[in-house]
Amino acid sequence: MKGTQLGEFEEIVLLAIALLYDDAYSVAIVEELTNRLERPMSLGVVHRTMQRLEEKGLVNSRFGEATAERGGRRKRLFTVTLAGEQALREARRIRNDLWDGIPNAAFTHLP
Amino acid sequence: MKTPPAPQPPQWAERLLMRIAAPHLREELAGDLYELFQHRVQRYGRRNARLLYVLELLLLLHPRLWRRQSETGKRYTTPHYAQPNPTTMLSNYVKIALRKLARQKAYTLINVISLSLGIACAILIFTLVKYHLSFDTFHAHQDRIYRIYTELHRENITYSTGVPNPMGDAFRNSTTVADKIGRVAFLNKRLITVSPEKKFEANIAFADPAFFDLFHFPLLQGNPKTALQEQHTALITDRIAKQYFGDENPAGKLLHIDGSLVVKITGVLRDLPANTDFRSEIYLPFSSLQEHSPWLVEKDWWLGFNKEMQCFIRLKPGVSPAMVDAKLLRAISEKHYDKEMAKTFHFKLQPLSDVHFNPKLRGQTDRQNLWTFGLTGFFLVITACVNFINLATAQALGRSKEVGVRKALGSRRGSLFWQFMTETALIACLGLIIALGLAYTALPLVNHWFDIALTINPLSDIYLSTFLITLLLFVVFCSGAYPGLILSRFQPVAALKGKLSQRAVGGFSLRKGLVVTQFAISQLLIIGTLIITSQLRYSQQANMGFRKDAVVILPLPDNKPATISTLANQLSGLPGAGQVSFFDSPPATESIGSTVIRFDSRPENERWNISVKSADHRYLSTFSIPVLAGRNLNPSDTVREFLLNETAVKALGLTSAQDAIGKPAFVDNHQGTIVGVMKDFHFKSFRTVIEPLCISTRSEAYNSCGISLNPHTMASTLTDIEAIWKAQYPSAVFTYRFMDEDIERFYKLDNMLLRLIQLFAGIAIFVGCLGLYGLVSFMAAQKTREIGVRKVLGATTGQILWLFGKEFARLLLLAFVVAAPLAWWAMNKWLTNFVYRIEPGIGTFALAMLITILVALLTVSFRSLKAALMNPVRSLRSE
Repeated sequence: MKGTQLGEFEEIVLLAIALLYDDAYSVAIVEELTNRLERPMSLGVVHRTMQRLEEKGLVNSRFGEATAERGGRRKRLFTVTLAGEQALREARRIRNDLWDGIPNAAFTHLP
Repeated sequence: MKTPPAPQPPQWAERLLMRIAAPHLREELAGDLYELFQHRVQRYGRRNARLLYVLELLLLLHPRLWRRQSETGKRYTTPHYAQPNPTTMLSNYVKIALRKLARQKAYTLINVISLSLGIACAILIFTLVKYHLSFDTFHAHQDRIYRIYTELHRENITYSTGVPNPMGDAFRNSTTVADKIGRVAFLNKRLITVSPEKKFEANIAFADPAFFDLFHFPLLQGNPKTALQEQHTALITDRIAKQYFGDENPAGKLLHIDGSLVVKITGVLRDLPANTDFRSEIYLPFSSLQEHSPWLVEKDWWLGFNKEMQCFIRLKPGVSPAMVDAKLLRAISEKHYDKEMAKTFHFKLQPLSDVHFNPKLRGQTDRQNLWTFGLTGFFLVITACVNFINLATAQALGRSKEVGVRKALGSRRGSLFWQFMTETALIACLGLIIALGLAYTALPLVNHWFDIALTINPLSDIYLSTFLITLLLFVVFCSGAYPGLILSRFQPVAALKGKLSQRAVGGFSLRKGLVVTQFAISQLLIIGTLIITSQLRYSQQANMGFRKDAVVILPLPDNKPATISTLANQLSGLPGAGQVSFFDSPPATESIGSTVIRFDSRPENERWNISVKSADHRYLSTFSIPVLAGRNLNPSDTVREFLLNETAVKALGLTSAQDAIGKPAFVDNHQGTIVGVMKDFHFKSFRTVIEPLCISTRSEAYNSCGISLNPHTMASTLTDIEAIWKAQYPSAVFTYRFMDEDIERFYKLDNMLLRLIQLFAGIAIFVGCLGLYGLVSFMAAQKTREIGVRKVLGATTGQILWLFGKEFARLLLLAFVVAAPLAWWAMNKWLTNFVYRIEPGIGTFALAMLITILVALLTVSFRSLKAALMNPVRSLRSE
C-alpha cells in the first residue's frame, strides 16, 4: 500500500509526537519544530501531516481539556501507536545500515 | 483587580475558518490558531500577531481543510449529507473551458491577442502615470510643504518659480506659520574641478540647512545635524562620489566650483531617487552663495528675482495656505514695495504636489497628458472587451445544444452563468500573463522615449498588483457578463430542438453598437495622431523668422571683453565658419527676462513690459534677422543703442517704424537711442504670441556664442572650433548644441505624447480589425448556404462581397459621425495651447475616415472573398 511509506517530514513530526509524549498537540509540535529546525513552520503543514499520520494508523488522537488559553476550545492530543513505533524503528534501522555501509574513505577528502 | 481582556484575533478570519473548515476540524484548528495568536501577541506585538494569524490561515488552505471525514476513519458520525468537494464543479468548468478553447483556436487566438495588447498598454500607462504621480511624495509631511512663487501682474500675468532673495528672511521674521523655511539656489551645469586632470560638469545647489529637514534626502555618511552649517563645505551624492573619487573615501576631499569657490566634502547623500524634481547632486551652504555669485544675493534687493532662487516652507499643521497667500504674503509685498509695485508683485504658495505638474511654473509634466494617457488606456481595454463580447455572442448559438443538455440535467441559470465566467476568466488570465510579458519587453522602449527608468514588478509593487487584479476583474465582468446572461437564458426545449435563431440570441444590434464604439475609438485616436503630427511639424518646420539650421551654440565660461574679441577673431577666421556672434540667449529660448521701458520724452514708463536680449552687432547677420528700418547696432560693450521689433513699435503706439528711429529710450535703467527696427521673429515657442522685444549690446551679460556653419564641412569645422575654444578656456569642458535641437526641445513633451498616441492608435486599429475579422468569419460560416444559393442563382463575386461590405461600411460611417465631433472638440482644446496653430481641416477628418475604411475593408474582404469564391456545390451538397 502506498500509504505505509514514511516521508521525511512525517518522520520528524512522528518523532516530535513521541518526544512530547503526554502533551503532543499541534501548537506544541509547531513550536518544538520551529525551535529545533530553526526555521518557521506553519500550522497548516504540521496539521496536514498529523492528519496523514492518523490515516496511516501511525498515531492515535483524543480530545484534551478545554482551556482559556485556547479560547475555550479543546485540543487534539496525539500518541504514537505500535505501528508508528515500528515505522520509526524501521526508518532508523535503514539509516543505521546506510551509515554502517559507508566506507571510511568516503569522508576523508583530499586536501 | 481585573485583568484586561486578552487580545482577540481578527474576527472575520476566525469566522472564515469556521465556514470553510470541515466540521470535525473546526474546534481544534480554531483553538490552535487562537493559542498561537496569544503566544505571538506576547512575542511580536498585537499587530504582527494579527498579520501572522491571517498568514497561518492562508497556509491552512488545502483540500484537507474542507475534505469531509472518510467513512473508514470516522471518529464520530456527522448528521450532514455528504457534500461534494466545492472544487469539483470548478474543475469541471475549467476542463470544459479548456476543451472549448482548444477546439476553437482562431477564436481563442483573437481574444487572447486583443486582450493581451489592451492589457499590456493599460499596464504601461498605469506604470507611467503612477511614476509621475509619485514625484516628491516621499518627503515627510509633504502635504504641508510649499514653494513660494512670484506672480507679476501687469498687462498680463507672468509667473516665476523664484522669489527675491530677502523673501526667506522676511517670511521668517514676519510670521510664525511655518516650522521650516529653506532657501535654495539651483545652478545648473557648473564646472567642478577635482584635480587639474579631472573636471566635470554638475548641477549644484546652495541651500539652507533646513532644506534637508524639509526634504528627505538621507545622508549615508556625515552628520545631518551639522550639514550645510559651515561655510565651504559640501554634500555630494554617492553617484558623484563614485564618479569623482572611485572607491576612495570622499570625506575631507576638496572641490573647486567654477574655479572660484573651494569646498570640503563633509557628507555623502544617498543617490537621488528617480521620482524627484530636485536634480542637483552637489549641495553647498547657502551662505557660500555670497562668495560664488554675489549678484544673486544682493541684500534687500526686492525688485529682481531669478527663477533658480527658490524658497520652500513647511507650514505648521492646520495652517491654511489660502490664508497665507491672502494675508501674510500680501502683507510682505505691501511692506517691501511702494504702492505701485505692490500691485505688481504677488507672492503665492504652490503645494509641493503641484511642482511636477504645473507647466506655468516649469513643471515637467502636464496633468492633462496623464489623463489623456489614462483615458486612452481605458479605451484600449474597452476595445479588447468589445471583441470578446462580439465573438462570444456570435458564437452563443453554436453552444445552444450544450446549454440545452446542461439545463435538462438540472443546471441552474446561475451555474451556467458562472461556467461562462470561468471560461472568460481563463482567457483573461492568459491574456494578462502574455500582457505582462509584452509590457516587460516594451518597457525599455518606453523608458528610452521618456528618458526615465520605470520598472514593472507586480510581486514587489503592491499598487501594480492591486491594479492588475482590479483590471482582471473588470475585464472578466465587462466581457463575460453579457454573453453569460445570453447563454444562460436559453429555453432548454428550444435549444435542444435546434429552434433557436440568431434573433433569439439577440444582441445583433448590440453587436453593431459595439463595433461602432470600437471604430469610433480608433478614429478618435487616428484624428488625434494626424492633428498632433501636423501641428508639431508646423511648429518645428515653420519659419520662425530667423535662421535655425547649421547654427552651433557654445556656452562661454567667462565673458571678459578681451577674451571675447580674440575668440571672435579666431573663430571667424575658420574656413567653414560664417558669422560669429556673442549674446545672452539664442533667438528662440524658453526663458527670457523682461523689464519696463520709457520711450522718448514720455513722462512715465509704458504699461507693458518689454523682453530684453543682450547681443552684439553680428547677432542679426548670424541668425539672418532682417532690419526693416534704421540700421543695425554699432559694436560696443555697454548699452548705447537699442533695436526694437515690430511688435514693440506697435505697442509704443507709433504708426511707422521710422518714427521710432533716433529716439531716446530708458530700458532697464539704461539710457540709449533706438537705432533700428527688426522684423518680428518667434523668440519663444509657438505656444506664446510674439511680444515686444529689445536688443542691445551689453557684453557683461553674454554667456553664449553662436556660429553659423557651412553645412558641408560641419564636422571638421567643429573640431577646429573645439581646438580654439580649448586654447582659450583650458580649464573648462567643451560642449555645444545646435539651434534646431534647442527648438525641438520646446516640443519634447508633445513629441512624446505623439509617439504614444501613434502607438495606441495602431494597437486600437489592430485590435478592432481582429474583432472584425472574427465577426466576418462567423458571418461567413453562417451564410455559407445563402451564398451558395445566391451563386447558383447567378450572383457575381462582387455582389457577394458587397453583402458583407455594406453592413460594415454603414457601421464605419456611424462611428465616424460619433468620433468626428468628439475628436474636433478634444483637439481644439489641445491646440489652444498654441498661439500659432494649424486649423484642423476637413482633409484631416477625411483622411482618418479613409484610413479606417481601407483597413476595415481589407480585413473584411480578406475573409469574405474566401466565402464568395467557394464553390457553391460544396456548400449546398451537405443538405
